Amino acid sequence: MKKIIYITLIFLTACSSYEKPVDSSLETQVLLIGNGTEPQDLDPHIVTGVPESKILMALLEGLVIRHPDGKSPLPGVAQSWDISSNGLIYTFNLRKNARWSNGDTVDAHDFVYSWKRVLLPSLGSQYPDMLYDIKNAEPFNKGEITDFNEVGVKAINDYQLQVTLANPAPYFIELLTHYTTRPVHKETIEQYGSIDSVGTKWTRPGNFVGNGPFNLKEWQLNKVIEVEKSNTYWDNSAVKLNGIKFYPIDNVTREDLMFRSGQLHITGSIPQEKIDSYKTLYPQELKIFPYFGTYYYRININKPPLDEKLVRDALSLGLDRKELVDKVAKGGQEPAFSFTPPDKNGYYPTTKLEFNPTKAKQILNDLGYSEENPFPKIELLYNTSEGHQKIAQAIQQMWKTNLGVDIELTNTDWKVYLSRQQIGDYSISRAGWIGDYPDPKTFLDMMVTGRGNNQTGWSNQEYDSLLKKAANATNQTERFNYFNEAEKILMDEKPIIPIYTYTRMYMLHPDVKGWKSNLLDTRPYQNIELIRD
Amino acid sequence: MANTESSLYEDAFRRLFSNKLSLFSFCFISFITILAILTPWIAPYDYAYQDLDLGPSGPSMAHWMGTDVLGRDLLTRILYGSRISLMVGFLATMVALFIGVIWGTIAGYAGGKIDTVMMRIVDAMYGVPFIILIILLMVIFGRNLVLLFVAIGAVEWLTMSRIVRSQVRSLSQQEFVLAAQAMGVSSVDIIFRHLIPNTVGPVIVYATLTVPQIMLLEAFLSFLGLGVQAPMSSWGILIRDGAVSMEEYWWLLIFPSILFSLTLYSLNFIGDGLRDALDPRTVQN
Repeated sequence: MKKIIYITLIFLTACSSYEKPVDSSLETQVLLIGNGTEPQDLDPHIVTGVPESKILMALLEGLVIRHPDGKSPLPGVAQSWDISSNGLIYTFNLRKNARWSNGDTVDAHDFVYSWKRVLLPSLGSQYPDMLYDIKNAEPFNKGEITDFNEVGVKAINDYQLQVTLANPAPYFIELLTHYTTRPVHKETIEQYGSIDSVGTKWTRPGNFVGNGPFNLKEWQLNKVIEVEKSNTYWDNSAVKLNGIKFYPIDNVTREDLMFRSGQLHITGSIPQEKIDSYKTLYPQELKIFPYFGTYYYRININKPPLDEKLVRDALSLGLDRKELVDKVAKGGQEPAFSFTPPDKNGYYPTTKLEFNPTKAKQILNDLGYSEENPFPKIELLYNTSEGHQKIAQAIQQMWKTNLGVDIELTNTDWKVYLSRQQIGDYSISRAGWIGDYPDPKTFLDMMVTGRGNNQTGWSNQEYDSLLKKAANATNQTERFNYFNEAEKILMDEKPIIPIYTYTRMYMLHPDVKGWKSNLLDTRPYQNIELIRD
Repeated sequence: MANTESSLYEDAFRRLFSNKLSLFSFCFISFITILAILTPWIAPYDYAYQDLDLGPSGPSMAHWMGTDVLGRDLLTRILYGSRISLMVGFLATMVALFIGVIWGTIAGYAGGKIDTVMMRIVDAMYGVPFIILIILLMVIFGRNLVLLFVAIGAVEWLTMSRIVRSQVRSLSQQEFVLAAQAMGVSSVDIIFRHLIPNTVGPVIVYATLTVPQIMLLEAFLSFLGLGVQAPMSSWGILIRDGAVSMEEYWWLLIFPSILFSLTLYSLNFIGDGLRDALDPRTVQN
């Protein structure tokens, strides 16, 4: 019903001489973003999702800012930093003109307070492991030590922050672009609750005190979140926009209609079936960028016959990834031959996964499967979504014709899907992983024995020790070599079967200038402006 | 008595088939049903067979109704879909009809406390979130099609019972029922001989409206993973998928929709015809 009213409205607005929001935005310089779903909260230490991260990018600023092009981060609250020669001690020099939106100075104590908050077990943050590279952070978070002074974060003075790491982590500066590491305003937090209270009123408009380029202006549930330019932000001159409106639209088709009727500058995604026709219809607006994520199938290696490595080999050999990407997914994705997406400028895994149905069939024959003794039917679990269903059906067909393996498809809603994987009640399940920071660790660490997101039952000592060696490696080449070795083991054992490397697809209005693409698809809003050519 | 009854139904069928629209509708439904039954032998392709190289293509000699995004023959999928949709639609409606009519008649005829209790149960059932109930049934009994019919039917009977009850309430005050009671006819006989035939009109109309509702519900449940699983299809699923890409591949929406609407129209016309034909109040020789 809502949809019908909506479509009627679009027709009505199209017929009248009403000015489109994107046209009036040229005057007001307000960016209109389709932002997926209603955010869970705006507390940077609580939230976990992509929609939240886009809003927090405007409201809060960490020590460093993500580079719009995806290069090494730019100085944020920290003007500069020194790294000790062993790579363990980071000293950040904070700028003196960084202000909270109520005029208070942002200082080193704010960061100590905020990081303590993230790590406090009683807060229950989902992302404390973002800070686990810091000395004693993990034991503190797990309650093994209770004195925060033992954790390697210290304010030397108001404008100097010293961070001591547990192990060299060349990606540490990159980590600091993540919203979990951003500061919160102590007085505001404590006005509405205590350091470890969750869901208090401090994130409401009027109460929210941030240090980012924008301030929270309005939050209408399920309708819009609006931010306006801050006048206390230190780099005010770089902020060209007067405000941003984030619309929580979880229906892709509706979002697409809104974009085409001039109500949005940027969408969150594109309906899969439109991609082909938009390539010719909207070549200028359609954006397809590489994305730091992998679409893969997870295999429960405790479930026979999948406990047999050769069976997993056969399944992988029977997959024509190129065909899947070109004919089914169609979004410019790349076939994946490793778990970590290859980055030409960084880590480039050398693993190969071939498509060879003859060999696959041979393997199954050698294992004793034949017409008379057919391979048992396996269940393929995926969460309800048309996109996943399309891929699953295509793969079902490939395994049927290439290997003679029968697959039964099962889709469930998101929560059932997650819990079935968690308790290991599945055979093969669809999965995707998007990197949190541009480093292979964000992928490979997941498959270490006993990690919460491993969920395959796979455990390999050599793999674990290679990752440990990588953590202690002193230079990047050495680290990447260890990772590559680990990746080889992973691709040989195949507890997961990579399918493709994600791309990020969305529509971008040509008025938006300065919008850059990068692998993690996050960018600051500074230097973005609206100009019509 | 027996003689009168058979002539009532003979009359009814004569009247039904003298109505051209009803006759045509009846033929159409029979035709579709026969096609659905024969599908495994007459379908030009396998419903799961994909031709990824072909992809979505419009109607052609090889594929009369075109192919979908995975290159599967749409005609085949519509034929297979009709099996599921017709089966779900008819069976679930039967279940709803069966429970609803009996429940409503008993409540309406008994009146008093029994009526109050029975109708409060219906009210309470309305309050139970339908999807959660179905999910619960699926979790307990596992996923199977027959259960899906029963589950849908078991939920759809509520409105039916209310309609029947209100009809019976007013009928049971009428002279012919009083006369039957006075003559000592048993309650069971009164219910089956007098009351239920008199409620046929609204019941048939409501039933023909329930069938399409259930077919769409099936599509929704299948989307949630509770009904039929991909790559099997049903009309509801085909239409839902077609609607998403109607701008690019019109045939994916048009063909299943035409068939679906024709079926629904036919059901409605048959319902109309049946109501006129079966309603004893219109019997005038």
